[in-house]
Amino acid sequence: MKASLLFIDELRGFYKSKVMLFLWVGLPVIAILFRFVQSSTAGEAIPFTVISALVVSSLAGTLASVMLAVSIINEKNRHVYDLFLIRPLKRRDLLLAKFFSVYTCIAVASFISVIAGTAMDFVTTGTLSTIVFDEVWQSLSLSLSMVAVSCAAGVLIGTAAPSVMVGAILVIYGGNQISVIPLLPTLLYIEGAVYFTLAVAVALAGALLAVALVLFDRKQF
Amino acid sequence: MIQSAKGADFVVVKNLSKNYGRFRALDNISFTIKQGEIFGYIGPNGAGKTTTMKILVDLIGDFEGEAFIGGYQVGREKTAIHRLLGYLPQNVAFQEWRTINHALITFGKLSGLNEQEVEDRIPKILNLLGLAELRQKKISQLSGGMIQKVGLAQALLHEPKFLVLDEPLGGLDPLSRYQFKEIVLKLKNQGTTILFSSHILSDVQDVADRIGIISHGRIKQIGTLKELKARLQAEKTIEVLLSGGSDKWNEIGSIHNIKGVTEPSPGSLLVHLESDADENEVFDELIQLIAKLKIRVHGIQLLSPSLDQIYLNYVQEEQP
Repeated sequence: MKASLLFIDELRGFYKSKVMLFLWVGLPVIAILFRFVQSSTAGEAIPFTVISALVVSSLAGTLASVMLAVSIINEKNRHVYDLFLIRPLKRRDLLLAKFFSVYTCIAVASFISVIAGTAMDFVTTGTLSTIVFDEVWQSLSLSLSMVAVSCAAGVLIGTAAPSVMVGAILVIYGGNQISVIPLLPTLLYIEGAVYFTLAVAVALAGALLAVALVLFDRKQF
Repeated sequence: MIQSAKGADFVVVKNLSKNYGRFRALDNISFTIKQGEIFGYIGPNGAGKTTTMKILVDLIGDFEGEAFIGGYQVGREKTAIHRLLGYLPQNVAFQEWRTINHALITFGKLSGLNEQEVEDRIPKILNLLGLAELRQKKISQLSGGMIQKVGLAQALLHEPKFLVLDEPLGGLDPLSRYQFKEIVLKLKNQGTTILFSSHILSDVQDVADRIGIISHGRIKQIGTLKELKARLQAEKTIEVLLSGGSDKWNEIGSIHNIKGVTEPSPGSLLVHLESDADENEVFDELIQLIAKLKIRVHGIQLLSPSLDQIYLNYVQEEQP
């Protein structure tokens, strides 16, 4: 009950933020720009839906992790959490609410971007092939796997880092590298690599979150 | 279990110590607060006031000693204690994207209030604090004083049994401070137990039933203002306000047990008593002599040490 209240609260806070505004509107716009740039160059055009998914994975993951880390560090240093922690709720609910709210926002932004891409493909080609849908499903899975790890890394860095500057540097140089780990199974070209990717992402994100929760639980405010 | 009998110890702090690395922030402090009592907690910056409060509200752990609130042990029975607590931190802060209304709904529900209770109580508490018209305003648009009031609103919304107020009057204008103190006194009358720290000693003096003075992590004195005054072996002085010029006041020094008379400003005499003098006896003799000498006065009073003097006396004791 209290966890869901915190989740809905955080969702309300994040979905109206400037970063999320960029993700809601900016991602499809950037993907369209990529499409036009690519159309003007030689070679076969990559389907718009795939471009959308690629844009989401590269930009959204970074933005999400930076947003989470900076938000947690700021709120921690301003003692915003004091008023929550003196109430009968579990400390972990605060961090999990943040993680899931940002992740939900990114997931929705990804779907919007990809749906826009699919629509664009349909308008320009007049048809949608099953190959495109397969590519979209794989791209989305990979994107959201990377975003999950990025978000978890953002939460961990936000919990541990003493200042926004340190947090931002750690996220940009460390968080992004970690988020690539789930993609390793796809390099092996094995059947169903995407499922391995999903499993690795869930395990890695879970481990990062678990460390963050332990640190947060022991933290003195 | 909650000890509900008025006058029973609601808060018990026993031999509490806390180290930050090698720095000893609290050194074996003990005190109690009775149910329905306002305990004023004063001391200089870094004395350990906020650390004590943060231990009691469970924001800080890893301490030595024991503390109990309503019979529940701090650090062990966390949920039970959290249900009793209202807390206004020294630098209260909210997520800035929230409106006042949204912040209060969230904190009310997290404190265990249902939808209807939250809806009923928010307008009342906002009216009480003069924030009713700002209900839909964003926290980011509020001044420091307004945020402090919202902080008090969240602390009072769920009608806690134990209210911890850490420097609650900082940033408030004189009218708001007066209203704030009125609210605190009203809560006390309703049975709320209150731990109240402030640098503004007159504010503590106005509301506190008992006062604890802390310095360098140690409790220096605890008692009512009257008890603290009695314990302070300050020089006893009687002030005489002359209503006209007189050169006869030098004769006042002849009274037994008077150490001397000074005139710090024209028309105001300070009669300094010997330390073992009975101030009432001297007072009577002084009035008789003034009448006999026909010295015209419009005021005569025994000066007792103010809370400021008491505070400085105990806090400066340890200064190098």
